[in-house]
Amino acid sequence: MTSATSPTSTTPVTTPARTSEEAAGGIGSSPVRPDGTTKVRGEFAYSSDLWHEDMLWGATLRSPHPSARITGLDIAGALAVPGVYAVLTHADVPGVNRYGLEQPDQPVLAEDVVRYQGEPVALVAADHPETARRAMERIRVDYEELEPVTDAQAAAEGKGPAVHPGGNVVRHVPIRRGDPRATADVVVTGTYEVGMQDQAFLGPESGLAVPAEDGGIDLYVATQWLHVDQQQIVAALGLPPEKVRLTLGGVGGAFGGREDLSIQVHACLLALHTGKPVKMVYNREESFYGHVHRHPAVLHYEHGADRDGRLVYVRARIVLDGGAYASTTGAVAGNAATLGVGPYDVPNVSVDCWGVYTNNPPCGAMRGFGAVQAAFAYESQMDKLAQACGLDPVEVRTRNAMSEGTVMPTGQVVDSAAPVAELLRRVRDMPLPAGPSGEPDLRRLPGGVSNTTHGEGVVRGVGYAVGIKNICFSEGFDDYSTARVRLQAVGGEPAATVQTAACEVGQGLVTVLQQIVRTELGVEQVTVEPMDTSIGSAGSSSASRQTYVTGGAVRAAALAVRKGLLGRVGHVPGELSVSGGKVVSTRDGVLADIVDVLGDDVLEETVEWRHRPTESLDPETGQGTAHVQYAFAAHRAVVDVDTELGLVKVVALDCAQDVGKALNPQAVLGQIQGGSAQGLGLAVMEEIQTDGGLIRNPSFTDYLIPTVLDMPPMNIDVLELADPHAPYGVRGVGEPPTISSTPAIVAAIRAATGKPLTRVPVRPEHII
Amino acid sequence: MIPFDYRRPDDIGTAVATVTGNPRAAFLGGGTNLVDHMKLGVAEPELLVDVTGLTSRDIERLPDGGLRVGAGVRNSDLAADPLVRERFPVLAQALLSGASGQLRNLATTGGNLLQRTRCVYFQDVTTPCNKREPGQGCSALEGYHRHHAVLGASRQCVAVHPSDLAVALAALDAVVRVQGPGGERTIPAETLHRLPGEHPERDTVLEHGELITAVDLPGLPFGPRSRYRKARDRASFAFALVSVAAALDVAGGLVRDVRIAFGGLAHKPWRARLAEDALRGRPAAPDEFRAAAEAELADAQPLRDNGFKVPMARNMLVSVLTELSAEDGAA
Ligand SMILES: Cc1cc2nc3c(=O)[nH]c(=O)nc-3n(C[C@H](O)[C@H](O)[C@H](O)COP(=O)(O)OP(=O)(O)OC[C@H]3O[C@@H](n4cnc5c(N)ncnc54)[C@H](O)[C@@H]3O)c2cc1C
Ligand code: SF4
Repeated sequence: MTSATSPTSTTPVTTPARTSEEAAGGIGSSPVRPDGTTKVRGEFAYSSDLWHEDMLWGATLRSPHPSARITGLDIAGALAVPGVYAVLTHADVPGVNRYGLEQPDQPVLAEDVVRYQGEPVALVAADHPETARRAMERIRVDYEELEPVTDAQAAAEGKGPAVHPGGNVVRHVPIRRGDPRATADVVVTGTYEVGMQDQAFLGPESGLAVPAEDGGIDLYVATQWLHVDQQQIVAALGLPPEKVRLTLGGVGGAFGGREDLSIQVHACLLALHTGKPVKMVYNREESFYGHVHRHPAVLHYEHGADRDGRLVYVRARIVLDGGAYASTTGAVAGNAATLGVGPYDVPNVSVDCWGVYTNNPPCGAMRGFGAVQAAFAYESQMDKLAQACGLDPVEVRTRNAMSEGTVMPTGQVVDSAAPVAELLRRVRDMPLPAGPSGEPDLRRLPGGVSNTTHGEGVVRGVGYAVGIKNICFSEGFDDYSTARVRLQAVGGEPAATVQTAACEVGQGLVTVLQQIVRTELGVEQVTVEPMDTSIGSAGSSSASRQTYVTGGAVRAAALAVRKGLLGRVGHVPGELSVSGGKVVSTRDGVLADIVDVLGDDVLEETVEWRHRPTESLDPETGQGTAHVQYAFAAHRAVVDVDTELGLVKVVALDCAQDVGKALNPQAVLGQIQGGSAQGLGLAVMEEIQTDGGLIRNPSFTDYLIPTVLDMPPMNIDVLELADPHAPYGVRGVGEPPTISSTPAIVAAIRAATGKPLTRVPVRPEHII
Repeated sequence: MIPFDYRRPDDIGTAVATVTGNPRAAFLGGGTNLVDHMKLGVAEPELLVDVTGLTSRDIERLPDGGLRVGAGVRNSDLAADPLVRERFPVLAQALLSGASGQLRNLATTGGNLLQRTRCVYFQDVTTPCNKREPGQGCSALEGYHRHHAVLGASRQCVAVHPSDLAVALAALDAVVRVQGPGGERTIPAETLHRLPGEHPERDTVLEHGELITAVDLPGLPFGPRSRYRKARDRASFAFALVSVAAALDVAGGLVRDVRIAFGGLAHKPWRARLAEDALRGRPAAPDEFRAAAEAELADAQPLRDNGFKVPMARNMLVSVLTELSAEDGAA
């Protein structure tokens, strides 16, 4: 276990000792990230820094209304502005004016209606961003405003006007297991709400589109999945895939908010139209309109248990507000439903989850993806159950904890480690922070440096939560990654290169891929090539899947290269391996330098790698082995609450998580700290405020995210229980800590205040 | 942003005459509020007259133990000044609880006082707002208004003034020195800002073209026993939900004198005269503090979602006075 006094000084991690022959910087170590220094020094080139001589600036005219009919559109005034090169509307979209991750329901540019505030209506390319802005003011759009649909609950019930022709239910996911009429001695019910959270990545949407001589386009862009962007761009531009080439720009965070298209098609349209490179960069305000958010949710739960607190049944009805377009609402609903009872063994389950259309801002992927909303509700319920049964919150959870072999509500049998009870015990047994003594440090009190309290009226509370997340893409999706590994001698040293289209979004993937190749090929010098579409898809940098899937692909490619290399040594006694730049035999030790075996040849292998397949869910019963892998994290939060002012200071936020295998222990800690902080944000401050479908706080002055003063130091305990089905035994790391962090903090605030707190974020007005 | 001219006149008289003579001219301090408003389209001046080189950047001692703060003094410098910290800790604390280090390095004393409300509708030109465009209506009344006023508001506008500095100045009986086309005048800080009434477009009593040149802090013997407290949605770098500036003088267990102003409750820093009057001569005890706070807040008229400000203000005042009285007793 690690114990730390500041958020940055956490030292890793239960990592088994390495054998000396492994290449330095291989898996299990934490080598310096190639992008680390430049990012810290402010020298890293983000996609917003992209530049091209002769480039134009693109800008997007957006709808000010959440729901309106467009009755007129006149671009003549804008075209007349000197310095303007193009003004485009839907009529200029050469291909299909629709895109979308799950269903193409979203226009590239609005036609006769707009369905959310911020929907793109027209584009301008000009010699300067200011020229573009002024030109946009001269585009006349006549709107006939319509009453926006903003009530997700009503949308789920089929009431009110339809936002799309097929009605407002994007997906309804029922899960039925056991007896739907089961009864129990102890019953607790509750209705919970989760506000709309923003990914709040620091690097706004940006990219540069460069028209090519072959009539195609080269797009440099910050994204999470190059190939799914490419597919959608191709359809909208009406070009063959080989004419739409994407290269990853420097990504300043993603968290799900870059899964959907933003500037991609727009920049390409403008560049193709003008024959010039076009750069687009959103500012912070536009970014709030330019990407999807976390689905706000209303969740009704009923838990039945025996008097010992053992769950008999769980019934739940969950409504997720998907906003104006589908994005990934279907998959988010699938997650909320299949993970809706949490990491517990429940014999009788009846869950219904609806993802719906409204005229609210579109919602889609965000770290935790449906599991976050459900966890706030089911963990709140577990605390209620503990109280009803007179049990300690850890005890009621461990009594019901699922484990390897548990049958999920979907009928899926859990076939690798599920150390739910162990994780809870570990956070429970961590040392508790000392209470304030002597002259208190204001930074550690609620209200922080605002001098709001010196300890009077402050009550401490402790809360627990544990969460579950599916790793990789689920429900029968063909989830794969492509990797190419090359080995050759460069300047007398063996050197490898790795090529994939997997997006480095800040999570440290580039480093992990280097580490894998170092370990498998026994060479230290490993270069990761720029990510682009000249190789096959790597799938998305989401669902905590990239180390698993692209890591798996790179490993497979490296193993294939190694096989070729060792094949050249011919038949020698003993088993052969590579290490420290040499070919080694178990019997005779070092046989040869890798460079000598290679000579002038280049060994290259390309592999398309898949994890084991999953099944879709039965549409009536929700049964099916839909998930590849489950991951778990538990948190214990300690809070001090100033009950007089309603202010909360999270004093400790300790976490235990099973990661299967920590390929890069420091990166694992980074994910757990970052995920926990994002969960803290949702617990006590982060919410996009909407009213009548309109966003009221599209700025970092009004949408607050935690600062270093809000986030406490963490004790982090990392378990490594290998998953036999996954490369190296890895289990996805990025999302689980976001899931349990929020409910643990709220449980702690409840423990301190006795308030019901059924909605996040919790605000002073809910406590005072 | 619309195109604009920028000028840096050589003397105050020219600056005042220039702005007075042009309804679309504005003084520029640190620009941390005005430039934001220009980007948002909330302010559209055609001429900026930079006064940061004209107004004093000095903090001078006054004969009565007070201080004169030049309008060009940066918020960081004011907060760090040893005399300010010693004589008027409430002022330094108020400044340091506002904005961020970078912003305070730029923000000026004059500009800070005249920063405008953070009402989200005021800053969004696509929504109706009487303060921006009189007669349009007030979107906050039925909209997103948890930050808004509970005291002294009108149906025309329920915005609050966001400055922390201004709250401390109101409590300290500061005097704002103003240069206008007709010469100099002084305005008590407490009355610089207005209640919205029928004219929410007017934040202050200043006329267009009047320049703040300095702020006088009269000597206050119990100034060292003063505090600023601020409740906000995160531990730093956020505007006040409620704040209080207080100074307390206790003798023989009785309140000899007291100064109290609230922030976050009204369209102006809310000098709590009722509470002050209720406390003078009374025992310095928590139930007295509570009664005084309740007297001050009795007329509060919360909106749908900001009722929490009333108990928050009450509890904050009780707690800060209790702390000050303990310190006073120990002294
Ligand atoms: C993200 C953010 C967070 C913030 N948080 C806080 C906070 O918590 N608490 C807080 O109190 N403030 C906060 N602020 C506001 C900040 O304090 C103000 O922006 C700043 O004090 C304004 O000073 P300035 O010199 O930059 O004014 P400017 O922007 O230059 O001017 C503001 C106004 O004053 C006028 N003006 C300037 N100088 C004079 C003068 N001498 N005489 C007459 N008129 C003049 C200008 O014409 C303009 O109308 C925050 C600001 C930001 C951007
Ligand atoms: S409260 Fe005042 S500033 Fe806000 S919308 Fe109403 S009138 Fe405008």
